[in-house]
Amino acid sequence: MGRIARPVFLALLLCFSLVPFWWMVVASFKRGDEQLTIGNPWWFEGFDSGGYRGLFADGVFRDWMLNTLLVLVATVVISVVASVLAAYALAYLRVPYARGVVLVFFATYLVPQGVLFLPLVREMARLHLLNSPLALIATFPSLVIPFGTWVLWSFFRSLPSDLVDHARLEGASTLNVLTGLLLPLASPALAAVGLFAIAIVFNDFLYSFTLIQSQQQTTLMAGVGLLSTDLGETGPIFAAVLVGVAPIALACAFFADSYAKGLGTGVID
Amino acid sequence: MIAYPLGLEAWLSLTSASPGDDGKFVGLANYRYVLGQEIYRQVLQNTLVYTGASTLFKAALGVLMALALNRDFRGRRLVYALCFLPFIFPASVGTAAWYYLLSNVHGAFNYALLSAHLINSQIPFLGQDPGPMISVVTVNVWHGTALFGILCLAGLRSIPKDLLDAAATDGATAVQRFLRVQLPQLRAPLLLAGILSIVGNFGDFPIVFLLTGGGPLGKTDIVSVYAFENALRAGDLGVGAAIALSIVPFYLIVLLVAFRLIGARAR
Repeated sequence: MGRIARPVFLALLLCFSLVPFWWMVVASFKRGDEQLTIGNPWWFEGFDSGGYRGLFADGVFRDWMLNTLLVLVATVVISVVASVLAAYALAYLRVPYARGVVLVFFATYLVPQGVLFLPLVREMARLHLLNSPLALIATFPSLVIPFGTWVLWSFFRSLPSDLVDHARLEGASTLNVLTGLLLPLASPALAAVGLFAIAIVFNDFLYSFTLIQSQQQTTLMAGVGLLSTDLGETGPIFAAVLVGVAPIALACAFFADSYAKGLGTGVID
Repeated sequence: MIAYPLGLEAWLSLTSASPGDDGKFVGLANYRYVLGQEIYRQVLQNTLVYTGASTLFKAALGVLMALALNRDFRGRRLVYALCFLPFIFPASVGTAAWYYLLSNVHGAFNYALLSAHLINSQIPFLGQDPGPMISVVTVNVWHGTALFGILCLAGLRSIPKDLLDAAATDGATAVQRFLRVQLPQLRAPLLLAGILSIVGNFGDFPIVFLLTGGGPLGKTDIVSVYAFENALRAGDLGVGAAIALSIVPFYLIVLLVAFRLIGARAR
């Protein structure tokens, strides 16, 4: 791209990317009813910090924010731990048909969510997990772990094969090998798995919306679907989003390269 | 976690189950019912248009994004992160914001256009054909372009700089260098991003559900929304399951075409 085309294109792309975020910031400082009916939706007219102050008191939006963070942390921790253990087993303990197992794992990504959500709703109802964040904590890792196993397995296989053997000969236990040797080496792959888990949690709406119907128990992501669109609650909900979700998303955005590398692993080879 | 629900869904689609009741075996009645619905063909067509248009626009914009970011400049890290932000940000929340931008009741875009005296009356972005389909595709492109961008950028980075320099000394123009040297390197990332985009679009729910709810009059209704309405709103799990499963053959055809188109000369 030329000297003029590049900055012009990037400026336009940034405007397109950021326009809803600017609107959210403005909306979060307005009283709910104001945003929808009167005033300039692009600019602050008298700061109303009620939406932000409400996050420190009891209220449904604070519940949504806390549920979101709970589901997020639980999903990331469970997914990363399970993926590390599964990948270690497939890479270093002679599992029969290891490559086939991993390929089947990857193939599960080709099943669209819209095809799978109904049976899941029914199963969660049977397990009496409907209307609890636990339903999400049970579901999301199952979407992350196949990918996480795949990425970490590819990473472990790219290491010299006698690395672990040597450590074992020197008397290191499996746990020592993992925490002392492999995990520090695998930090880029771990970052990719963590990011993938966060992306799964943040970008889900279908599961959260169908598995949790109780107002109190839901997350911010599904909560926006419960607000009827002409209900005047935009200020508080976008304040909760900007406090609870946006900083995490922005921090993750700086790791786009790890994400790309992680997704590319194994598929390109 | 995948095989069992799929099997269960196949069984459900053959029954008259509702969320609180197992129902009875009804054979292929649900499929006959679904395929006989006038709106079903429209839903199928919408799903294909939505998937195809979004994926093509995301691929084109994503390649441009990768080319634009494939050079060092001041603030590149920040620009890169901000371009990636819509992808990692919750799609449902982003769509809710877009709803208020596009709304024809004091929507932010209409407000800006009216204030600038560019239009005299509100534009029904979400109300009148083809506005709603363009709107859902736009939001999908907003959300998903970055995935194509970052994967293509990784592909561009893997090209040795000598190769491009050599092509430049041989007198290749920028366009020739792109077509001959860079584009072939983008096949694998485009294939990967394309497949992920198709999978995502076929299963997409929040963007259409929150922006248009499938309306007006089913003009933007896609499979997941239609299945949801039938299964959980109307309480007919069997019909919902039949809708969801009946899309699978079409989905596989689209996936195969994508593999062929992009993957054909990848090896």
